[in-house]
Amino acid sequence: MSFLQILLQLAGGVGYTIMVTVACSLTGVVVGLGVAMLSRIGPPWLRGLLGAFTFIFRAVPVLVLLFIVFFGLPNAGLRVPPLVAMMLSLGVIAGAYLAEVFRGAFDSVDASEVLAAEAMGLSRFQILRLIEIPQMLRFAVPGMINEFTTVLKYSPFAYTVGIPDVMKEAMSLSATTLRGVEIYLAVGIIYFLIYKLLVTGVWALEKRTRIPGLTG
Amino acid sequence: MTLLSVQDLKLEYDGRIILDGVSFDLAQGELKVIMGPSGSGKSTLLRCLNRLATPTGGRVVFEGRDVLGPGVDERALRQRIGFVFQNFALYRHLTALQNVTLALRHLRRMPAAEADERALRQLARMDMQAHAHKYPAQLSGGQKQRVAIARALAMDPAVLFFDEPTSALDPLMSREVVNILHQLRDERVSMLCVTHDLYLARAAGGRVMFLDEGRIHAEGEVDELFGPNADPRVRAFFHQELRQAQTAQPIDAAQPMDQAQPAGPSGPAGLAER
Repeated sequence: MSFLQILLQLAGGVGYTIMVTVACSLTGVVVGLGVAMLSRIGPPWLRGLLGAFTFIFRAVPVLVLLFIVFFGLPNAGLRVPPLVAMMLSLGVIAGAYLAEVFRGAFDSVDASEVLAAEAMGLSRFQILRLIEIPQMLRFAVPGMINEFTTVLKYSPFAYTVGIPDVMKEAMSLSATTLRGVEIYLAVGIIYFLIYKLLVTGVWALEKRTRIPGLTG
Repeated sequence: MTLLSVQDLKLEYDGRIILDGVSFDLAQGELKVIMGPSGSGKSTLLRCLNRLATPTGGRVVFEGRDVLGPGVDERALRQRIGFVFQNFALYRHLTALQNVTLALRHLRRMPAAEADERALRQLARMDMQAHAHKYPAQLSGGQKQRVAIARALAMDPAVLFFDEPTSALDPLMSREVVNILHQLRDERVSMLCVTHDLYLARAAGGRVMFLDEGRIHAEGEVDELFGPNADPRVRAFFHQELRQAQTAQPIDAAQPMDQAQPAGPSGPAGLAER
């Protein structure tokens, strides 16, 4: 079995790896945006609550939360499909980190612009939607790429709940061929290529939506 | 006809008195300048009038309605008042044109084409139509301020408030703003302008009020206020501003380096002993 054949064999799992990464990253963006937005405009008690949420979920190891969700919830009568379990663990934890990224990016929006928008007669929600979020998302790009990369590298946990991703393919292949070194080297290359694709994609999007003088 | 009437306006914050009974009227089509040193409460005064700040006492009547009373629609009030800021406060992610159309699109719910047309008219009024599609970072300070004024005018406000419109600008650009004030005054736009810039206060050509420590100490036409019989506080402020303008002169206009007195024993003290 040549190295190329190993790569091709593993390629079958690439789709799942990408699916898990994208699903968990999107969950993270939705959760992070929700938390950061509510913390920005919500009442102090809600801010405290959301602060506790990010604090706790940044502290829990992904695998522990994944097992609690996937193996624990069925005991409470709630069966969770593997992908949903990944989204509820890795995705939500990514959300806690992204909430912090977005909070910092929100703070970079010039306070005088928010004041001008208020003086104009816009509602708080309109200011958030029209002024703060469009700028904040651009400021958040480097932090978001970091977090998406982390999600990609945690995605192999998906094999523990039975998703046949690249890692799962590699383990079965390694068990039947006993050529671990080459196989895991191939896995490394595959993750690098996915990483490269992800980063290139995000930067291309950033470049297309770049505004002169707003970001570096 | 009185457009805006401020009566005994007071604001206390953290036990400090910011505004201590300010009263004045602004007539329809009038330009009034409120001048005073930094920290005199000028900007806060403007913010009380559109409820960005909440005064602790007094009355503000705008277009015949009590602004401070309960049940006032703050957002509707603010849409009647165009606000121009010291640091322009243009939305950096929007072009000049989009800055001007924002309120029309989202507050007036105007269709895009109509809003664009109206915004372009306002930009043309400020001689900025050629820069409509540039972002704020691509404009000079004076150009930014002109876009900000066009943005404030787009909503057809009853009055324009200027909060230190020249303090972030160099003298040449300040003149652009003064020219615009003159243009708008000739068009009978009602304006209230707060500034600590003597040049602006004099050149604007409206009635000037002198605010210090939360009170209006003098009011009059430019020549009265700056003339030989000026209020001592006005004079003190005037002298202080002049001194600052002098010390802010470029280095080459100051004393040449080789004539500077060295410090130490051989300096002035040593000379005095001889």
